[in-house]
Amino acid sequence: MTITARPAPNAAPARLKVRKNINSLSTQELADFRRAVKQALALTDKRGFDYFASWHGVPFGWCQHHDPLFLPWHRAYLYWLELALQSQVPGVTLPWWDWSTAGGIPSAYSDAQADGEQNVLAKAPVKTFSTAPKSGWPTETSRAPGEVPQTPGPPYGQEWANAMKADNYTDFSQRIWTVHDTVHVWVGGTMGQVDWAAYDPLFFAHHANIDRAWRIWQTAHPGANPPANILDTSLQTDPAMKVQATLDVNQLGYEYAGTQSTVPGSA
Amino acid sequence: MQRWTSQPIAVPPRTSWQRADLEFEGVEHDGASFVMHVFLNNPDADETTPRTPEQRYAGYLTVFAHGDCWGDAGHCDIPEPVSAFDQRPPHPLIPFDATLEITEALGALLDGTGLDGTGLDGTGPDGTGEITVTALAFNKADDTDGVLRFKQLTLLTYA
Repeated sequence: MTITARPAPNAAPARLKVRKNINSLSTQELADFRRAVKQALALTDKRGFDYFASWHGVPFGWCQHHDPLFLPWHRAYLYWLELALQSQVPGVTLPWWDWSTAGGIPSAYSDAQADGEQNVLAKAPVKTFSTAPKSGWPTETSRAPGEVPQTPGPPYGQEWANAMKADNYTDFSQRIWTVHDTVHVWVGGTMGQVDWAAYDPLFFAHHANIDRAWRIWQTAHPGANPPANILDTSLQTDPAMKVQATLDVNQLGYEYAGTQSTVPGSA
Repeated sequence: MQRWTSQPIAVPPRTSWQRADLEFEGVEHDGASFVMHVFLNNPDADETTPRTPEQRYAGYLTVFAHGDCWGDAGHCDIPEPVSAFDQRPPHPLIPFDATLEITEALGALLDGTGLDGTGLDGTGPDGTGEITVTALAFNKADDTDGVLRFKQLTLLTYA
């Protein structure tokens, strides 16, 4: 399948990047993604992983939860991070973790070792951007999947289906953030706290799936946008992005696909 | 475990609605993340109660919360806008509303297919029922008492 965005006049068509299920990445694609994350983790300036992780909770606290800005803010967040990763390794995209069908954390994110070294997707340092750590702050990410009492675990197929049944944006947003919250709490550890969750690379696979859910729901409900009074709202990211600009993933240069197969042409 | 049981809440007759939601208004999320399980007319429910229709289990909500305040004094206080021209984004700790659809559970309650099938289910003589919520903090080290804080609970039904 080839997906193209509408080209500017006299310009070559812009090829959309495809975000894929983490379990469908080729060995090379997964290695490239790990390399991008590893290189971004090594940067201490605004190109680095820590800078982006700092947006969500400690120290910047820019994230939006439990309100209509939840989906647009996180879409913008992933967009800016993905560009930063593509600056490290061209062509990489954020994979998604499909917790609606998967029974646990994908091995790509849970295996302690990968490619003969520590798996950067399994554990990451917590380094708050331009902020000296305080006593009691975590120094690295942690998880405790399934150890949080009384918290239902994946797969969350029923919750996903319930969200997809929503017939308006507000309902959909609320239903999907509900299962979003559950995934965070089920993973536990730093992923279970707003302040620290985004330091874990798993965060972005989780949110890519949330973003994918929104994309799927949007496709089934064309024109079902967020409330009109927030479309002109500037989302707090760096740089800022208006809600209106988040509505069409193709305008942001990406699409979601389960698989991608390409064969040579005749030229 | 924290347990909260509502005052009797008016429940419309089953024939008058197609969908029923519980709306928890003003849920605080400035502490530990937590999960809450909702039971209908089962005030003794606790963390050991099976989450089954027979126990009038209605569903769960999980709240991904911020954790302890890490800033300086006042950092987590929700400020009032300083002027009509204050365009700063809303404070992240503003309480939110959470909705749980309970159509099936409430329908079963009113149909009398609940706990023991003896007809003790359904609403009371005044057409009311009780909502019981059990809540547990996600981190065992966190104090579960008081983890669930919200302003009010509304039962919404839709024809």
